Amino acid sequence: MKKIMILGLLAFLLTPGSFSQEMTGEDIIQKVNDLFNFDSNYSKSKMTIVTTSGQKRTFIYESWSKNKGEKNLVRYLEPRRVKGQAVLMLNNADDIWMYFPRTQRVRKLATHAKKQKMQGSDFSYEDMGSGDAFIKNFTSKRLKDEKMEGYDCYKLELTRKPDSDTSYSRLIMWVIKENFVPVVIDYYDEHDPTLLQKRLIQSDIRIIDGIPTAMKMVMINKNDNSQTEMELLEVKYNIPLDDRMFTERELKK
Amino acid sequence: MKTWVSACLFCLFMLFIFSPLLAQDGVEIFGYFESQIMGTKLNNEFIQLYSNKLRVDLKSDLSENITFAANFDYITYHGKTNWNILDFLPSDVVAEVPPGMEAFYVLPFENRHFLDNAYIKLSFKQFDLTVGKQQISLGTGYVWNPIDVFNIKDILDPTYEQPGHNAIRLDIPLGSRYTVTTLYSPEESWEDSAKLLQLKGRISHFDFTLNAAEKTWRFHDYKQFDFESMNFLEIPERRKLLGGSTAGEILGLGVWAEYAYNWMDVSKDFYELVVGSDYTFDFQTYLMIEYYRNTMGKADYTQYDLNDWMRLLATEQKAIAQDQIYLFIQHPATDLLSVGFSTIYALSDNSFALVPTLNYSFSDNVEIFAYLNLNFGSEGKAFSRKMGNGGLIRVRVYF
Repeated sequence: MKKIMILGLLAFLLTPGSFSQEMTGEDIIQKVNDLFNFDSNYSKSKMTIVTTSGQKRTFIYESWSKNKGEKNLVRYLEPRRVKGQAVLMLNNADDIWMYFPRTQRVRKLATHAKKQKMQGSDFSYEDMGSGDAFIKNFTSKRLKDEKMEGYDCYKLELTRKPDSDTSYSRLIMWVIKENFVPVVIDYYDEHDPTLLQKRLIQSDIRIIDGIPTAMKMVMINKNDNSQTEMELLEVKYNIPLDDRMFTERELKK
Repeated sequence: MKTWVSACLFCLFMLFIFSPLLAQDGVEIFGYFESQIMGTKLNNEFIQLYSNKLRVDLKSDLSENITFAANFDYITYHGKTNWNILDFLPSDVVAEVPPGMEAFYVLPFENRHFLDNAYIKLSFKQFDLTVGKQQISLGTGYVWNPIDVFNIKDILDPTYEQPGHNAIRLDIPLGSRYTVTTLYSPEESWEDSAKLLQLKGRISHFDFTLNAAEKTWRFHDYKQFDFESMNFLEIPERRKLLGGSTAGEILGLGVWAEYAYNWMDVSKDFYELVVGSDYTFDFQTYLMIEYYRNTMGKADYTQYDLNDWMRLLATEQKAIAQDQIYLFIQHPATDLLSVGFSTIYALSDNSFALVPTLNYSFSDNVEIFAYLNLNFGSEGKAFSRKMGNGGLIRVRVYF
């Protein structure tokens, strides 16, 4: 009887709904952060930009990351126009280099380059995320739980810290209670916290190497009326990656 | 007819050369076709030059450590293919042309095909060795690169690819932050050959290089004609350079600088300096400014002579004016269209050129680039109206 009571108590404690009563916004964002902070990662992604006029541009690129996103390398495979172009980001994207294969020139970029659109898409380099960006740049406050995209979610408001250089004044995030995947993120204008700029919707969540992974993402640009779809074609976590891979020398390969 | 025969022969030649490679696995073939119209309004006449360029690239990873890469270029020219340079020069400079030599100042655009790059790269943990015709990209400057003794960029189109250079290059990484590069570009003798030594490193968020180079600079005297070579008289001169470059960030602004001091065997020693900065605003507008000083250029425009102009137009030297500023602003007007505007201002003579630019992504692998070139200087200045106002439209298809 005693054993059943203990098991019952344990089950109650481990039920997300009951545990959630105790969780603060900072606890939840820490869980989200932990989810993204795998030691290393490889992925191959397809990015499709849908312009306001309905035209499409498709890019395929590979990316590698290490040390919980502190080091990142992105290399474009398609289309031919950008094939071989590569971006290296170190120190959580505080150091960025871009490689242009036809001129074999490597250009060091300042961090303001993170604001630039990734190949004209609705994702900026900053949106691609790095390391502890949600924790480093924002304070988190829990709002009333809501259902979003069919999932029971925690709703969080992330407000930019005074010393942060992020391009968004605040984020509203819906985090799936079951697995802590942020299913929707609203990005608000840098200067006007009431002006919604972009919305990210994640879907097709699968467990890859034990990690819940959204295989599809759509970034909807509310200002431009355009959207960019991102699909993970291949993804691997916690794979051995040599530090030498994240150097200017490797960028040129 | 002759053009088409040449094109067919070129294709057959390419097929012959590449067929053994194609038989192997893992040989990538790619490149682009580029069609371009360039025009200038000169003396109330609009002259046009059309060109078509086919670039075919090959790349193969022969093994884990060995890479082979090459590209052939085939370019045809149409329209006004002989440009009389004297039409663009101020009348007092034209007066310097020796009598009877006027016909030599014609810039011909002739069809050509050539092996632009072809090299093999051996990559090991301790070093990379690259042998053959290869790109040599030095410096952090966007328009001007004082430490680059191999290339001179087109100020109207500074990101256009540079020609390959025959060289043996050794890159030795020293940890993850430093690399030593040595480069030897052979010519007729050891003395005439170009040599380069570079240390590249990173301190905090700044990249830097220290450079030493030696190269024979092949100037011409454009007042003397050498009937043996059927060209203007070449006056080669040794150039020794010590310099460095850096790039990083200060107060959120991208910053870079480049400096080189040049010791010349015969001519006066000179130095070059570049300082630049850039920033991307939240509304996606990108702004860049670059200052360039070259003491080989002249501070007084009345001193520009025939050799200065000809060496500038023949891309033998980077500038005619001593101090220049390049300002560039670009904004993505739509997802597919970027519009830009650059100004090149010669501080030394108060003349400037305005260059509105346009980049349009027509489809995944087709892009259109266009610019106008409007000069606003009085006659004799670096960006004189006499140079003509014109522009360029380029369509490029990647395959």
